[in-house]
Amino acid sequence: MSRISLKIVGASGQGINSIGAIIAKGLKRSGYCVFGYREYPSLIKGGHASYQLDVSNERICSTETKVNVLVALNHHGLELNMDELKQAGIVLHVTPGWQFPEHHRKLISELNLRVIYFPVDDILNRLGARAILSNVLLTAFVWSMLGQDIDVIKSLVGATFAKKKALLELNMRCIDEGYSFADPEQGAISVALPPPDKGFASHLLITGSQAMGLGAVHAGVRLYAGYPMTPSSPLLSFIAELENKTHMVVKQAEDEITAAQIVSGAMYMGTRALTATSGVGFDLMSETLSLNAMIENPTVFVLAQRPGPATGLPTWTAQSGLLQAANCSAGEFTRCVIAVSNSQDAFDLMPIAFNLAEQYQISVIVLTDKQIAEALYTQHPYDLERAEIDRGRLVVEPEKLKALKSSDRFNPHAKGGVSLRWLPGSDAATYCAQGDEHNSMGAVDESSLNTRLQLEKRLLKFEGLKARLPAPHLSIGGRSAKTTDWMDAGDEIELLAIGWGSTGEVFQDVMRSDELRGWKIAYLHYTYLWPLRTQELRRLAKRSKRIVLVEQNYQGQLGMLIRMECGLDISDKILKYDGRPFFYDELLSSVMERCASTSENEEKFPGLEHAGSPS
Amino acid sequence: MNIALQTRPPALSEYYSETKCIWCDGCGNYGIWTAVKYALVELNLHPWQVCLCYDVGCNGNGSDKIEGYRFHGLHGRVIPFASGAKLANMKVPVIAFGGDGATFSEGIGHLIHGVRSNYPITFVLHNNTNFGLTTGQASSLTPQGQPMNTSPNGIPEHTLASMDLVFSLNPTFVARGFSGDIKLMTRILKAAIQHRGFAFVEMLQACPTYNHFATHEYLLDRYFDANAGGHDPSDLQQARALATQVQDRIACGILYQREDIPDFYNRLIPRQGLQTTCVEEVRRYDVSEYWKELV
Repeated sequence: MSRISLKIVGASGQGINSIGAIIAKGLKRSGYCVFGYREYPSLIKGGHASYQLDVSNERICSTETKVNVLVALNHHGLELNMDELKQAGIVLHVTPGWQFPEHHRKLISELNLRVIYFPVDDILNRLGARAILSNVLLTAFVWSMLGQDIDVIKSLVGATFAKKKALLELNMRCIDEGYSFADPEQGAISVALPPPDKGFASHLLITGSQAMGLGAVHAGVRLYAGYPMTPSSPLLSFIAELENKTHMVVKQAEDEITAAQIVSGAMYMGTRALTATSGVGFDLMSETLSLNAMIENPTVFVLAQRPGPATGLPTWTAQSGLLQAANCSAGEFTRCVIAVSNSQDAFDLMPIAFNLAEQYQISVIVLTDKQIAEALYTQHPYDLERAEIDRGRLVVEPEKLKALKSSDRFNPHAKGGVSLRWLPGSDAATYCAQGDEHNSMGAVDESSLNTRLQLEKRLLKFEGLKARLPAPHLSIGGRSAKTTDWMDAGDEIELLAIGWGSTGEVFQDVMRSDELRGWKIAYLHYTYLWPLRTQELRRLAKRSKRIVLVEQNYQGQLGMLIRMECGLDISDKILKYDGRPFFYDELLSSVMERCASTSENEEKFPGLEHAGSPS
Repeated sequence: MNIALQTRPPALSEYYSETKCIWCDGCGNYGIWTAVKYALVELNLHPWQVCLCYDVGCNGNGSDKIEGYRFHGLHGRVIPFASGAKLANMKVPVIAFGGDGATFSEGIGHLIHGVRSNYPITFVLHNNTNFGLTTGQASSLTPQGQPMNTSPNGIPEHTLASMDLVFSLNPTFVARGFSGDIKLMTRILKAAIQHRGFAFVEMLQACPTYNHFATHEYLLDRYFDANAGGHDPSDLQQARALATQVQDRIACGILYQREDIPDFYNRLIPRQGLQTTCVEEVRRYDVSEYWKELV
């Protein structure tokens, strides 16, 4: 796979995002797959931030640590980001008279870097344009370096200023100037892109948060309540931006407890309602999770992970919320934890989450993370016919409502523990959604027999849910496979990696790399994390020479759940817990190290036992 | 309130429950419970047409002593749950009940934002001036210095001026009842349920087991129906004075009401002109229109 990367760095608020977004959209419209990744501190203005675009003519969903082009909007970028350039990389900067320190001069010569000073102020003065247009100038110059058609960028910028003629003309002149600029020392410089694939032109450029928001609306969510907390806030903002079109009820609550309770009340009444939060915000929601378990109220919570504890790193990423989602809150009850991995299933899993919640009358926690929430994906338009709205054992027909007894609501003998549910306002016998232990109609009942029966009813759902959840997704060398296909082929797996969430896409890109061609690498990706299915994993483990866990947390939390559920102890772990996602080249080298050591061991110990075996 | 016309008016017996009452002898909850049933019946509401939400406390132990679609939740949280329920289905009247412990301690933020938001619900404060169900601890409405369970020397904090707080939030409906006067409570509750916004109804009630200062007799001697005495509920200044000055006599009745302020739901621009409820709108939506700008 051929890929190039371009990184724009500068102070937050300097226009990094607007340059990144325009180039990303332009490249996508020209037929490239773009993956955008943002890094920024938790403040509004100032502070060092970046927007990186990784570009290919094949599907790409990862970021490299090394870049082909660095665009530095201030001198801090020249100080901080020079080490990130690849061989023959390009440094584009706007700082007049910048003198590189000795170690950077050495780097420039060793890597054969090309440094371009773009005299943005001179050009602005000449055009009589304000400083804000420097971004247009720079964008146009980068566009010309990428060898792309000037009309694409003109149409993109033009769309923004269509109604402001004077501004439009000035913007177009800036584009012409920027596009035609040539560095007097370096001459014309171009960055070679692979030939485009026009299929990408009709794709969407979408963040995980936008994908999730669209998925929620698609799933029939009619009320959203939330309290701002990064990285869940972009979902709240996106839903709010759409409110006049969707006609949804959107409530910015006074705290996470309120948001969770409003959503729970709305679900109890019978609509579909959603809330999202992060870390300690979810701690505040966890009492409501316990409540919903007791009253068997279907609910969906989005938990957008960031590093903790406490406020932690608000604008960075982590996968440290898995055990929190699976274990928090009082009492024993059935819940479902699922994790989105990219912009496709951020959309697809929303209707699924609501269906599961309503089918089992449980809470579903949908994990995402800062990386997915804010990364920019090139996404095929969504299939709008695939999702079904399944409301489980909800009774709505008048005749059936008339036949109901109060004791049907929490009937402990209901099949699979899932009893009939009907909504307030229905002409039927009434019941109490009772937070105390209760009998079949919701009256408080603390007797020994009832306590056991009701607890068993609520936990019986766990078995049904576990049996029905889809298997983890297996891919081999970047291709999808059914677990059974792999079994039947009888092949040995040289390296079996296990991961979940945003790790998955990076691993997929790594598996497709030229460096790993020829290796029998399998990747088992968990979307449904609790209840945890382990039968496929156990079978695969027996066929694998080496197993490695890949997670963005310190403890290897999925590994802990796996060990708890089936005894398989995965001692080899690729873990990352510095707030950054896995980068493509970094993960590739970790995987290559393991492949290399596997072959060494083979030479030394032919017939080596399989790395993992369930106890 | 938006209630479908019924051909058959409800009978009081429709609200009978099989569950036995377990409140203490002389508990004010018996009176409030009775008045709630009368009010619902007199408003022509069948149990299946109403949603009754209970906080945790002695009031919440009434959740299974009445019919209707009920909810009994977590301590302090009843207001946001009830508000969410109401916003999802504006056709169902939603009444929330909570004690002074839950409402002015754990859930005080919810009360503040509930009044401020003017959610279209009725909130009934069961004020027995202590945490009854956890065996008589001081609440923030217990008089300072009053010895209680866990505070044998009396609590050091001063008493929270609950009505001053409520009036500072620009309420649209404030009423006060007394658990010994069922007719008065019924009148108040009917008006509250019919009110367009957040109806704050305080019910002063006896707690014979733990409250030995504001007893049934104490309240009986001091309460009076201010409306019978000619109080005009549109008079904000007089309402606030009546609500807060309770040393000698305690004014009850509908103390304050204004109907000219739209409730929370009716201020939502995206919901203007819609006849359907969020509950009725659950279906699969075509979202392709929303992604056009992303191509």
